[in-house]
Amino acid sequence: MKTSLSKHQRFWRTFGRVVIFLVLLILAISFLYPLYYMLINSLKSLGEYYVNPFGLPREQLQWQNFITMISQFKILKLFGNSFIISFFTVLGLVVFGTLASYSFAKVNFKGKNGVYLVILTTLFVPAQVTMIPMYISFAKVGLVDNFLGVVIAYWAMFLPETIMLMTANFKSIPNELLEAATIDGCDYIGRLRHVVMPMGWPAISLTIIFFFISSWNDLFTPMVLLKSMDKRTVMVALSSLIGRYTGDPPFQYAGLLMSAIPALAVYAVFQKSIVKGMSMGAIK
Amino acid sequence: MAQRSSPGAPALPRAGDMQRKRTRIAYLSLLPVLLILLLVKAYPILATIYRSFTNWDGLYKHDFVGLANYKEFFGTGLFMTLFKNNLVLLLSVPLQVIIGLIVAVLLYEQVPGWKAFRAIYYIPQIISLVILGYLFRSMFSLDGPVNKVLEALGFSSSVREWMGDGSTALPIMVGCITWYSIGWQTIVILGGMSGIDPSVFEAARLDGANFFQRTFKIVLPMITSVITYCVVMAVVWTFTSLFSLIYSMTGGGPGYETMTLDYMIYEKSFVTGSQLGMACTISVVLFIIVMLITAAEMKLSDIAEQKWG
Amino acid sequence: MKLQMKKAIALLLAVVLMLGTLAALTGCAKKADSNKLTIWINGKDSYIGPSEQKLAQEDWYISQAIKRFEDANPGVTVELVVSADGETAHQTFKADAMAGTAPDLANLWTGQNIFSMEDVILDISSLIPAEDKANITGWDSVTSPATGAVLGYPTSDNQICFFIYNKQIIKDCGLDFDNNPPRTIEEFNAACQTILDKGYQPIASDESFPWFGCYIVGYWWVQQSGMDRILSDCKGETSFTDDPGLLSATEYYRSTMVNGYLNADAVTSADSWNKFCQGTVAMMPQVSSVVSDAETALGAENVGVMLPPDFAGAQITDKTIGGPGQCLVVSKDCKNPELAVKFLSFLNSKDEVMKFLQVQSKVPTRTDITAADLGLTEGSASAKLFTWADKTVYWVDNSLYTNIVGDFYNLLPLVLAGKMTPAEFAADLDSKVVK
Repeated sequence: MKTSLSKHQRFWRTFGRVVIFLVLLILAISFLYPLYYMLINSLKSLGEYYVNPFGLPREQLQWQNFITMISQFKILKLFGNSFIISFFTVLGLVVFGTLASYSFAKVNFKGKNGVYLVILTTLFVPAQVTMIPMYISFAKVGLVDNFLGVVIAYWAMFLPETIMLMTANFKSIPNELLEAATIDGCDYIGRLRHVVMPMGWPAISLTIIFFFISSWNDLFTPMVLLKSMDKRTVMVALSSLIGRYTGDPPFQYAGLLMSAIPALAVYAVFQKSIVKGMSMGAIK
Repeated sequence: MAQRSSPGAPALPRAGDMQRKRTRIAYLSLLPVLLILLLVKAYPILATIYRSFTNWDGLYKHDFVGLANYKEFFGTGLFMTLFKNNLVLLLSVPLQVIIGLIVAVLLYEQVPGWKAFRAIYYIPQIISLVILGYLFRSMFSLDGPVNKVLEALGFSSSVREWMGDGSTALPIMVGCITWYSIGWQTIVILGGMSGIDPSVFEAARLDGANFFQRTFKIVLPMITSVITYCVVMAVVWTFTSLFSLIYSMTGGGPGYETMTLDYMIYEKSFVTGSQLGMACTISVVLFIIVMLITAAEMKLSDIAEQKWG
Repeated sequence: MKLQMKKAIALLLAVVLMLGTLAALTGCAKKADSNKLTIWINGKDSYIGPSEQKLAQEDWYISQAIKRFEDANPGVTVELVVSADGETAHQTFKADAMAGTAPDLANLWTGQNIFSMEDVILDISSLIPAEDKANITGWDSVTSPATGAVLGYPTSDNQICFFIYNKQIIKDCGLDFDNNPPRTIEEFNAACQTILDKGYQPIASDESFPWFGCYIVGYWWVQQSGMDRILSDCKGETSFTDDPGLLSATEYYRSTMVNGYLNADAVTSADSWNKFCQGTVAMMPQVSSVVSDAETALGAENVGVMLPPDFAGAQITDKTIGGPGQCLVVSKDCKNPELAVKFLSFLNSKDEVMKFLQVQSKVPTRTDITAADLGLTEGSASAKLFTWADKTVYWVDNSLYTNIVGDFYNLLPLVLAGKMTPAEFAADLDSKVVK
């Protein structure tokens, strides 16, 4: 078929491809810039950072910032706290979200649209205002200064979005597959396990990526709900480094850079299963 | 337990029974979600609505003041200022969805470097908005790179204090939000595309459909529910979660020129301490606006879905 | 179908049970113990200095002070909690107080921030030792003007607002701020003009964030109008529109930009501090805690500080804005207020304050500590700040009523940019008064 293209057409086609590649490349560079910025500044001394925040480090590289993060700031311990919270947040979202979204996407039941809308509307209330009443009720049942409190708050915060995402994706699971599974002897849970989970895995991966990272990076909820020093999450601890008048940004950048690693790792692992791309897509 | 060998379906019970059972199971599987939302969200939301009619100071003072907060909020013109800014920022929603869709199809078709791009495009989502906002602000500062480039290219007359006026700062924010969200939109749409049968796609390609036809005529109609999700979430996010970005880019200023409803809620509840009644009022207004917009979006997507089957 | 139902119900029960036990397990951990104090300290700008952030928690000044207190009072334990963010800490403190779980002691901001929380903060006036009242300054920042209740101890960091200057540039311009600083607005203008003519930027500031305008304009306002007048404006007894001090202070503020003395992008810039540290700017309005950073960047011999100039005929002169911006309060939930105050008194004792000042360069709120006690070099910027401890007028922005301060912060930059006249600004503040 390609022979039918004239030289002229081929030139423009190649030209178009080069332009697209360049645009994508420029975007990619711009997306990498913030990481680069954090890296170069995490290696500067405070004095150098104030004088030269955008250039490459000219003085001795301050690897010490990273070492101190581990040895004194105990960032790995903080990672542990954040990880526990993010892990259970995501686990609950996947379990509860899959259950609910399957119903919304594939089961016809009375009042479906009404319930769906009610769940969605909880998304529209900004957290700043509901935090105080929520905090007071959490304090009364012992959920303050408790990882579980943060996890439950995240479930409530992220479940509506999870359900929306999963429902949107589960809708494209062919009904024939579900019927076939039923005939093969799968019950409700069986269909979930053998059809919905594998077919909906891209949506589940997205859920894991989004909310692992959202809960990992979130500042407000753990800042308000967790008190004890040994329970602080990594973002809360890092945010306490920079004040209105004082602080050591290079040191904070070192910490922020380190705390981006787990988030990047989760993304790297789960993004692969989002879509295999065209050539590998024909697994069905 | 003997039922195990002959489970549910083939017995074909009466239709009404089936329906009732289905409804019961559906509600059972929704139960955890409903319980969590009810326990965690119901009381705070109701409390917020009630307190929007009071002069709540965050403590024990919450005298009923009727519609006074609403009158003040709408009467002083503050609402229009903030809402107008919100609407401008909303322009980023179509931009990010369309760019995200195009990038997603490009990656799906495996343009050179697609694996690397897919890995990199999500990075902004991992980095604190405060840092991103600061970088954008520095880029557009009076002697920042943008003005330097303009000057070098001979456009000295265009050199300005970009963030010093709402008319230039808001479009820059739209750009920043779009830039920030491209990666998110791309991977959501890619996830949605995993449900598309690749043979449909290949067939369209062989039929000579060009890239835009493939994107908007083949892909788009097949993933309307995912696109609806993208649009709804982008709208909700733009209305309720821009605080840290605005905080680091302009602080809502100068004046109120770049301040949004959710930023004002933050200011009323934290910076100026005891005006939480007003913060609740603004939250209720915000809630109604986002709900109306979302309902309209859903309606639109229903129409689209019916049209495209 | 029945089996599926059972499975679903079992799953649900398991979840509910799991949540219930976890909640119960953690819920009963709290015990009332009158020999135990919990204290919230702000992670920023407070007892934990920038140099301490790189130390392990047990090496922080505050951790060691707690340990010394515990050693001196056997049986007493003090639990330290660091709040990451001061603003949020105020809200959380309120919420905790309403839930009955407030900490015994909390590090909050002075002025209106605590005056509006009198319902949940204990009046400790009767518990403060007379000696503390005599030797510690800054009590007005924690004393409610409405009820006279003393709501806490001012913390020992007297932030003072001033102009920090680059001695080299000043010298290069033929000026001598060390021995002959501009004291009147006219002299200040003349100095700025000289610096400008020499090709330097006279003043740099980031005004998108409450800074120069908020602090030094606040000083120029209060020095002409007096604090009583400002408070009566807030109450609506008099009006901002008729307040000549406010008008002339904001007019002068605007003129600094019109004349080119203030950086043209002051309303949006985020890099004036970088520019000062790079040595391209002559002056910058600043507060005490940054002096050491400036000395690192420019060299201690190149950093000078001076008080803002005074308006002619002002009722307050030769002073500046400042005072303890933070305090430690005792909550009404505290089981043992005597012990709490004893700890506060201990933390503010001469011994402890001296130890604290070894770690952070701050101006103490104690009258019985001298620059020589701390071994500060005579003539250095830090030593000079020290002599200004009694020259502060309490922060104007912290004194404004909560319904007014929001517009004060947000609209002042518009006055600077010329988008709003001082009269319009004053009229807007008037419109925010609640009668």
